[in-house]
Amino acid sequence: MSQIQITINGKLCHCEEGISILQAAMQNGIEIPNLCNDESVKVYGACGLCAVEVLDDGSGRPMPKLLRACSAKAMNGYVVRYDTERVNQSRKIALELLMSDHTGDCMAPCRLNCPAGTDCQGYVKKIAEGDYHGAVRLMKEKLPLPASIGRVCPHPCEQNCRRALVEQPLSIAFLKAFAADRDLESETYRAECLPDTGKRVAIIGGGPAGLTAAYFLRQKGHAVTIFDASAKMGGMLRYGIPAYRLPKTVLDREIEEIEAMGVSMQNRVRIGEQITLEQLRADYDAVIVAVGAWQSMAMRCEGESLSGVVGGIQFLHDISSGEKAAPDLQGKVVAVCGGGNTAMDACRTAVRCGADKVYVIYRRTREEMPADAVEIEEAAEEGVIYRYLTNPAEIIGENGAVRRIKLQVMELGEPDASGRRSPVPVEGKFELLDVDLVIMAIGQKPALAGFEALEQTRKGTIAADEATFLTNLPDVYAIGDATNRGADIAIAAIGEANRCAAVVDSALCGALKPYRAPFLSKREVTAEMLADREKIARCTMPTRPAEVRRRDFDEVNLGLTEAMAQAEAKRCLECGCHDYNECKLIRYANMQPIDPYRLAGQKNIHEKERKLGSIERDPGKCILCGLCVRVCEEDAKQGILGLVGRGFTTAIKPEFQDDAVIAGCKDCAKCVKVCPTGALKLLG
Amino acid sequence: MSIRIAVGQGSCGIAAGAGKVYDALFAALQGSEVSLGVVGCIGMCWLEPIVDLYRDHTLQMRLVQVKPEDAERIAKACCHGDLSALNDLAISEEDAAFLTKQTRIALRNCGLIDPNSLESAVEAGGYSALRKVLAKQDGMTPEEVIACIKESGLAGRGGAGFPTWFKWNAARQSAGEEKYLICNADEGDPGAFMDRAVIESDPHTLIEGMLIAAYAIGAKEALVYVRAEYPLAIKRLHAALAQAKEAGYVGRHILGSDFSCEFRVKAGAGAFVCGEETALIESLEGNRGMPRLKPPFPAAAGYWHQPSNINNVETFANVSWIIDHGGAAFAAMGTPDSKGTKVFALTGKIRRGGLVEIPMGKTLRDVIFDIGGGIRDGKDFKAVQMGGPSGGCIPASLLDTIIDYKALGATGAIMGSGGMVVMDETTCMVSMAKFFLDFTAEESCGKCVHCRIGTKRMQEILTRITEGKGRKGDVELLEELCNAIKDGALCGLGQTAPNPVLTTIRYFRDEFTAHIEEQRCPAGSCTALRRYTIDPANCKGCTLCAKKCPVNAISGSVKAPHRIDLDVCIRCGQCMAACKFHAIQVG
Repeated sequence: MSQIQITINGKLCHCEEGISILQAAMQNGIEIPNLCNDESVKVYGACGLCAVEVLDDGSGRPMPKLLRACSAKAMNGYVVRYDTERVNQSRKIALELLMSDHTGDCMAPCRLNCPAGTDCQGYVKKIAEGDYHGAVRLMKEKLPLPASIGRVCPHPCEQNCRRALVEQPLSIAFLKAFAADRDLESETYRAECLPDTGKRVAIIGGGPAGLTAAYFLRQKGHAVTIFDASAKMGGMLRYGIPAYRLPKTVLDREIEEIEAMGVSMQNRVRIGEQITLEQLRADYDAVIVAVGAWQSMAMRCEGESLSGVVGGIQFLHDISSGEKAAPDLQGKVVAVCGGGNTAMDACRTAVRCGADKVYVIYRRTREEMPADAVEIEEAAEEGVIYRYLTNPAEIIGENGAVRRIKLQVMELGEPDASGRRSPVPVEGKFELLDVDLVIMAIGQKPALAGFEALEQTRKGTIAADEATFLTNLPDVYAIGDATNRGADIAIAAIGEANRCAAVVDSALCGALKPYRAPFLSKREVTAEMLADREKIARCTMPTRPAEVRRRDFDEVNLGLTEAMAQAEAKRCLECGCHDYNECKLIRYANMQPIDPYRLAGQKNIHEKERKLGSIERDPGKCILCGLCVRVCEEDAKQGILGLVGRGFTTAIKPEFQDDAVIAGCKDCAKCVKVCPTGALKLLG
Repeated sequence: MSIRIAVGQGSCGIAAGAGKVYDALFAALQGSEVSLGVVGCIGMCWLEPIVDLYRDHTLQMRLVQVKPEDAERIAKACCHGDLSALNDLAISEEDAAFLTKQTRIALRNCGLIDPNSLESAVEAGGYSALRKVLAKQDGMTPEEVIACIKESGLAGRGGAGFPTWFKWNAARQSAGEEKYLICNADEGDPGAFMDRAVIESDPHTLIEGMLIAAYAIGAKEALVYVRAEYPLAIKRLHAALAQAKEAGYVGRHILGSDFSCEFRVKAGAGAFVCGEETALIESLEGNRGMPRLKPPFPAAAGYWHQPSNINNVETFANVSWIIDHGGAAFAAMGTPDSKGTKVFALTGKIRRGGLVEIPMGKTLRDVIFDIGGGIRDGKDFKAVQMGGPSGGCIPASLLDTIIDYKALGATGAIMGSGGMVVMDETTCMVSMAKFFLDFTAEESCGKCVHCRIGTKRMQEILTRITEGKGRKGDVELLEELCNAIKDGALCGLGQTAPNPVLTTIRYFRDEFTAHIEEQRCPAGSCTALRRYTIDPANCKGCTLCAKKCPVNAISGSVKAPHRIDLDVCIRCGQCMAACKFHAIQVG
């Protein structure tokens, strides 16, 4: 055979005469997308993804038709591209068509609902297998503080857990804390860092967002320095969350791990005081602003300036920082205004400071309260008194100090934009409470002194681009509670930090690549579809008795035992596709933006079946590439599978729809190996 | 000399009652000297059953729309030799012009000879070309046969229009011990029936054409892949092959030469895609009918991966005429790009529907108006659909387009196998496009993504447009899908499936817009978009419509104008049919 030359996407390739363009590409390390091709079987040409355009057929002329690279022979002098507009369009439509008839979950709903995209299903499985380091390794692909976050996260993952359709969601957050604690106790997993790039990044703010950005940028080999105004790193995790929920020793250990990777941490540096933003911009290649939202919002009622009225965050900070002695609230009555987790933290902290009575003033009812149900319950157990449907109208003082609070009685009206019924004042109806301390916990906003150069939103937060995280300054990025929509939960800031780190890394490497949400296949699952699952109750976190714990700041939760954790982890339904990381279909579907929903129509719905030995088939994920049919016939010489039906309803079934042929299956699993999607699974 | 009676008995004639007419004539002629015979289909569908009266091989009179009860007087007239008594049954001059305006080569014997008789075929010149080719002295070499076909300019009549000589030559040049000659008689385009007519009416012309082709490429085996829905064609083909074998035209050492060729007939089970040559080969081999990738083309690796040549019935039907008359005679007809004649199956809202064979270069207007007589029932011509599901529609403004592969291609339609479906003003073009997509989506083999899911999605979008649920942007989405499917589908079926949609959008975009934006069907044919209303000025309050309405959508008191509740109305139209005062309107 003689040697020929062919140019594929600008690369000159040498190959033997007689092979296909696809083979020539593969031999030269070029991957032309393809789904139905495998070297063990004959060329088939069904998927159409390997379409290429021949710009020059060797004689200076282009070819009018697109060619399938799998079947078209490479000819000497061909100039071929698989990224022209015409090819991209053909491939885009093919992928959109395939996805419009694809029924499967690329990722489990828990993972999809995690703002940081942590692989919950993955680490839960590792925990079930007793591989805690493996579990932590998976967690740390998305968040560097699993022991801390496992304790404090309001776990949106659990909201979406499909196990709730059977009985109750998995206790995903506590499982995370369990595994992360085990990992910290023994040889801690630590991510490797790439060689130094010589690029320097300054991160302002050492909270969850800043720490996370530092963690991922350091891994890429960049020199990272975190500047923080407080005495220690940790931000809200340290100063906003009371120790009874997150012991500071746990946070310290996780921060130590980040520091050990070579992240430089400078505390007591406040922008505009010790250093300016301009100086940082001059000294570093990129600056990430992650300063959080530390200023409590005012309630706009009379008497807010009286002594004895404090912001929730300030109250928590003062206690947890130890900078001031914890206030002695013995014999005092405290009113906490607000219904979020900060309000919960404030009221339970007030209890621990010895307050006689602690009220929570909330303008709606328990139903609408945004705080975690567990928090609301545990606070009640600790003696907190809820005054629902009341709103502070006036704080009444005596000699400049708080004496009473006047509450407007409310009732629920029509639902507002958020879907919650909005509270409406009952005209003329008020209540009075005698109080000594009023804590305002109705929301936070950032304090942006020193950041005047950054453009702000109307809400008084830093305006940052959603896809690039860039501010109005070309090298300054901003993330977390200080930006755009304002304060959110820690894991949301961590997710942003993770994505921002990738963007900053791309910019430092020469070409900024904005974040693009991946395309993922999703399916609807109903309770009926899970009716056959055994009901197993969710584990309950053991806690210290309310009477004891309300007297100190020691951790309320005692932690899951290993037996509890493993039993809980085994409840997982494993909703996400086992093949997500290897799936060629989803990889190609993300090579260019696709929108299969515009082509939405009828779908072929088939149930999973387990007919072939130890192989489970999920026809919803089958793309009819025919590889399993062909490999079974041509390579395994069995011919057990066949194509049945015509057109859109074509399906892969036992040959001639004869279940008797299945008995011949030798479990060689060659079909599983060649399947380009997760339609075939070898059961362990 | 006595009269010979021939009853046209193609499938269509039989469906129109030709069998009963034959039986009645047979009974009526008992004891007379008048002979009764069968011929194939002459191609004048609207006149069936047709009875021809011959004297001395000369057609004396053609009787049309004959009923069994006419048999007695036909028999009497023929026995007496006085045919004037049958003048009322005779074809009109106008209708007769349907044939006289044609130039018949492929159809030259159809309806004129007895398809069950070899003698009849030979008398009409059958196998003379084969004799010429295989003659011991001054015979033709395979190369000379190919050269003659090249000179004729004959191109594939199945749809693609590829030069026939080129395929023959490629198969001849291909190295290989076994070579196969295959006839594609899987005529699947809705509205096309010329191949059936040829096999049913003149099977020996097909066999002769195939023998000459087999000789040219060097094949010892010939296969006919004919759809099982053509039982009469299969029966007559089998009978003709048996006669030909008996007479030495088929088998070993044909006509004493070194050329041997055996025939096999395979009945296809009715998948449209099996008309695609590589899917046809898969089916012949006993596999699922799915197209193969090309290249390699069948000429290099076809049936059992041996060099093979595939042509369709009409192509073969031209071959013996070309050999007999010379390539130049064939090439003298037509245009520079398209030589010879082409058969069209004229159907739809046409006055005179049937088979029309005319030289290339005539206009669509010639076929539809001059020969076909224009539109039935005084309605206006709207468009003609050519080339079936792979073709497109051509509007009135392009009626002067000439019949030529290139000229038709430029309109977005294709020559195709010759189906011509004529549409009038009452045809909704969106529904027409949907009809063809229903067909291709149903007939997709399911192999490639673009066709399997793409045609399904196009069908869904067209369906929602005809139901008044079209969305803004649907036309653009259709166009995007069409272009991607043309580029991406594996075989000709998929690549051409978008054509009916693309051409209807090209010429009738405003109809799509009316459906989507105004929920209105300009042709008034989309049931879901019809609005029945009662004109109070004409309504007498007779209550008949209300009584007829199957869903009680009509209310009103006696002698007072009624009204229709459109939310309840199922658009069945029974009210309108019942109303004696034309008070019910549909819009």
